[in-house]
Amino acid sequence: MLKAALIIARKDLRLTAERSAGLAQAAALGLLLIFLFSLSLVPGQRMSAQGAAAVFWMASAFCQVIIFGMLYGYEGNKGQKQGLLLAPIPVQSIWLGKALAGIAMLACAQALFIPAAVIFLGQEPGPAWKAGLAVILICDTGIAVAGSLTGALAHGQTGKESLLSILVFPLLAPLFLGGIRVGSSAFGGSDEATGDWLGICLAFDAVFTAAALPLFPFAYSTDE
Amino acid sequence: MNDKAGPKRNTGDRVFRLITPAALLAGLALALCWVLIFVYAPRESTLGLPQKIFYLHLPLAWWALSGFFLTFVASIVYLRTGKEQWDAAAAASAEVSLIFACSAVISGSIWARASWGVWWTWDARLTTALIMCFVYAGYLILRSLDMPPARRARAGAVFGIAAFLDVPLVFFSARLWSYIHPPSISLEPEMKLTLAACLAAFAPLWFCLAALRMKLDLDGRRLDALRAERLSREDRRS
Repeated sequence: MLKAALIIARKDLRLTAERSAGLAQAAALGLLLIFLFSLSLVPGQRMSAQGAAAVFWMASAFCQVIIFGMLYGYEGNKGQKQGLLLAPIPVQSIWLGKALAGIAMLACAQALFIPAAVIFLGQEPGPAWKAGLAVILICDTGIAVAGSLTGALAHGQTGKESLLSILVFPLLAPLFLGGIRVGSSAFGGSDEATGDWLGICLAFDAVFTAAALPLFPFAYSTDE
Repeated sequence: MNDKAGPKRNTGDRVFRLITPAALLAGLALALCWVLIFVYAPRESTLGLPQKIFYLHLPLAWWALSGFFLTFVASIVYLRTGKEQWDAAAAASAEVSLIFACSAVISGSIWARASWGVWWTWDARLTTALIMCFVYAGYLILRSLDMPPARRARAGAVFGIAAFLDVPLVFFSARLWSYIHPPSISLEPEMKLTLAACLAAFAPLWFCLAALRMKLDLDGRRLDALRAERLSREDRRS
């Protein structure tokens, strides 16, 4: 399953690299959001660490909607989805492959969002920056796991980006809360209960991975 | 999956026969609750009259959560069996429970205004209820999309399961963020009795609303199937 998932992830990443517009669009939307929120500050003012972390995760959330809409859109027409489903691989490897590709693309976009948050929102890395990196890794995993499942549900629908936002944003609330609180401490805010937050985010990853494995074949099938 | 064009005529009939008695019971029980709330239960010394909201707020939230659990269970059974009455049960349960959850959020907001002086506050249970409202609103939007019926039912079931798995995570994260809900409210024996009566009275109300909604849904599907059958017969004749 892992080998097939890696092949699908590599195929999606190559398609993304060749077309390039999709990831650039997702990253540009996130950067634009960070910039727009910086307009709420008067010149010289710094946004609070928690506010900056919230803007960072909001940019990431919108970015993942575009990423998963795009990843499932690659098999959008001419029977490509049927072809993928008929391949002699476990169906779940499609979910895992899309999730792996999604993590990689989201991480690329976040590599731009972090300096943008530092520059536009007046932040500086605090002593808890290692916890900040850990929470990004854990939250990105959860976002990809849930995003890949809901991406399959929204596949083929008109206005799938807005549908994905409605479906996945409330589901991701625990991750965003954890990401914001630990991200706040990484930007120099108070670091309260960092371990508990990382635990909740890890629990989210575990619950949704365990749920997505049996549910994905129902979410992504051919009989339409 | 063995979705059929329409359910058999007697599907769920035994459940639907209970709608009228449940509606009568709900009407009588709610009338009795009104008397208990405003006449029997004593007025709370600190909050005064707004405390009476509690007798509606708690049953609404309780039955909303129970209904979401039922959607979760019905979704699992639908994915296992493919029987469309379970899909209808999951949808009806989510729809009625969403109305209950929204009512619980609104009554909680009124309580917050009376108790803490603000219409909204970051309270774990209130926030959990609000996030679950958003989650199940998404569920109903997903179900209202123009998709082939079998795919819509499967997508709804998958999301119905994922949504309920999120409930404890949302609750614990909201609790860790900030917690100001009263952990336990000390109630007079009369208050406890009134609360128990209200909790029980909302059960037949929830049941008859959900069963009616499920019946409407199944009747709609049956009509669609009959219409499709008639059209195909006319096509064959011409």
